[in-house]
Amino acid sequence: MKLRTFPQGVFLPHHKEDTAHLPIVRVPEPSRVVLPLIQHTGAPLKPLVNKGDTVKRGQKIADADAFVAAPVHAPLSGKVAGIEEWAHPTMGKFQAIVIENDGKGEEERYEPLPETIEDLEPERLRAFVREGGFVGLGGAAFPTHVKLSPPQGKPIDSFILNGAECEPYLTCDHRVMLERTEEMLLGLRIMVRACGAKRAYIGIEDNKKDCIDHVANLLRNFPIPAEVVPLRTKYPQGSEKHLILAILGREVPPGGLPLDVGVVVNNVQTAAALGRMARTGLPLVERVITLSGDCLNKRGNFEVPLGMLLEDLVDFCEGFTAPPRKIIMGGPMTGITQVSLAVPVIKGTSGFLFFRNVPKKREYPCIRCGRCVAHCPMRLLPYLLGRLAEESLFAEAEDNRVLDCVECGSCAYVCPAGIALVHLLKLAKFEVMRRKRGGK
Amino acid sequence: MEELRLVTSAPPHLKSPVTVPWIMQQVVFALLPAAVWGVVFFGPRLALPPLVLSVLACVGFEALDCLAFRRSLTVGDWSAVVTGMLLGLSLPPGCPFWIPLVGGGVAILLGKQMFGGIGQNIFNPALVGRAVLLISWPKIMATWYVRPAFVLQPAQAATYATPVDVVTSATPLGIVKAYGYPAVWETGPNLLFRLFLGLIPGCIGEISALLLLLGFLYLLLRKVVQWDIPLFYALGLSLVALLARQNPLFHLFAGGAIMGACFMATDYTTSPMTSRGRMIFGFGAGALTGIIRWLGGYPEGVTFGILTMNALVPLLDRMLPRRFGVKKA
Repeated sequence: MKLRTFPQGVFLPHHKEDTAHLPIVRVPEPSRVVLPLIQHTGAPLKPLVNKGDTVKRGQKIADADAFVAAPVHAPLSGKVAGIEEWAHPTMGKFQAIVIENDGKGEEERYEPLPETIEDLEPERLRAFVREGGFVGLGGAAFPTHVKLSPPQGKPIDSFILNGAECEPYLTCDHRVMLERTEEMLLGLRIMVRACGAKRAYIGIEDNKKDCIDHVANLLRNFPIPAEVVPLRTKYPQGSEKHLILAILGREVPPGGLPLDVGVVVNNVQTAAALGRMARTGLPLVERVITLSGDCLNKRGNFEVPLGMLLEDLVDFCEGFTAPPRKIIMGGPMTGITQVSLAVPVIKGTSGFLFFRNVPKKREYPCIRCGRCVAHCPMRLLPYLLGRLAEESLFAEAEDNRVLDCVECGSCAYVCPAGIALVHLLKLAKFEVMRRKRGGK
Repeated sequence: MEELRLVTSAPPHLKSPVTVPWIMQQVVFALLPAAVWGVVFFGPRLALPPLVLSVLACVGFEALDCLAFRRSLTVGDWSAVVTGMLLGLSLPPGCPFWIPLVGGGVAILLGKQMFGGIGQNIFNPALVGRAVLLISWPKIMATWYVRPAFVLQPAQAATYATPVDVVTSATPLGIVKAYGYPAVWETGPNLLFRLFLGLIPGCIGEISALLLLLGFLYLLLRKVVQWDIPLFYALGLSLVALLARQNPLFHLFAGGAIMGACFMATDYTTSPMTSRGRMIFGFGAGALTGIIRWLGGYPEGVTFGILTMNALVPLLDRMLPRRFGVKKA
């Protein structure tokens, strides 16, 4: 099998064997869900319900007028117990709608789409995607309808479905590709039709050979030109820029988007959820996540309602074998550490990892070994950018392309001196952007 | 549920197992075959004291410096051991005991600590130490003891009336400088073979190209170093050798070329960070080595060739790689 890849990057221990073989388990509805008013990259939402209102599963409960935003729907039927500040897995705290489950299971559904996707107007499909509240479920949570709306003069020729799942431990996309394949391929057709792409590619790392074979089988007699592209298992293959480079040999220009090179990329799970809505009319109210690590009693891949609290998930997994010292939302390379179990699952939650031990790498001065330079998939000089950030030389950091950084963490992973390189680069990016916006 | 004591930290939460001390230990391991051969070939009495004293001096002076300036002790990173090994291996066997002490002191104090310690120095510390010794005590640094069986002479003239343990001998490069390039080929058969294996007079750890290359191969397999600097060093040196109408293989295997190319020029701190920079750096250091040997006053050019290119590293590091998403201008 010929594997495609990109230059540089790192080979990681991928730790996927703990959960990759475990089928998706549907978690029973919790007694309460918490839905933050921001779960996507873009403008925050305004609630459409008030305290005391009853809501049905699938009912839209928050939306915004802004284009770059995606509405939120109630994942279960119940009563709005309040709209209040709540712990948020990536933003500290944020306003959230709290719903108490009334157990009635009432539902409100949109009209499903006919199977003849290719005859439908792209306009209609984009509106459908927006109404459904879809965002990139790989973790970045960028509103999907925005990606599917290329501006005038930027025609899209290729659509890439991202099944790389390059973060260690996470296997939710793996299971979705195996178990939700029909829905995923229907979602793929909707997205391809919506953005006007001529050809579709499904990029899958070769540590998921079962997915590669399974999806390729189902692509026979597919109504649109589409192929599976096996990728070398290397981090960060799932980064949009590196997926496009590996599959199409195109490089997204600095500060640009995939559509600047005629490409739209979306995550496999986004496609599967969209395909499900097209069949059932149920918007994005649940997702598949991986719960793993070294101290959870029951690890696995779980289909959970959005807004379900981490503490309820831990209960469902029968608690811990030993108290965790570190809880991460997302993968270990880019994930965010959590300070409490009160956080809800949001649209961008690909999983939670629980670790008993927190190994510390001793820090040394930079010995200029060059590993960060040799591994940076964006061909940056992280050692230099890190030093510039430490010395607050942000203009120089910008001159040295710090804004190109995709924050994959490869530099900090390989650094033998244990320097928090990607952290310093994020700081420099933040400062450069702040100054660009006119901040002092 | 009991209260959890959770830590927060910035991603990535995975770190590679490679650490600074581990890297330095790998370099020490890689140098061991050449060091052992030096001790076997020259005998422990000639080879061991310079080696051991050099390592002790480097580690000791770094510890003293840390104590004197009230900085936390840095000898645990093993980099002083590497410097000591490199310096010791590039000393002539049988040199006076104070030579490694002075060399180690200069290497660590002037070459490394004055710049701010590990990672901060511009010049390779071991070569700084060696350069000061070469300039200050040229005679000592060019007195080569060896067992009589391995004496190199331009003509087979001298026989020894009384049996002796060791005698002084010229080195191949010394013969080239003193008697001319053709003379070195009259010192006996299979010169290249003897150079490659290390059956000639020379510095303690520099004589066997084979064992040094084996050590370097180990570092390559361990992904501690990359191949670019040594390869381009060899290219630069070979090119100059060809221009001088001399055998490139002779120049690669004689003197400290392999040691310099594989272990001195590849020093992280004092070599460029980008692949392109390292190629230019390696080529320049190799070419300068050849030019000094060919046209300079010293028989050997490794030390000054690499030190000169060390000075250019900050400049070479200003060359940025091609930007992602931007076609070559």
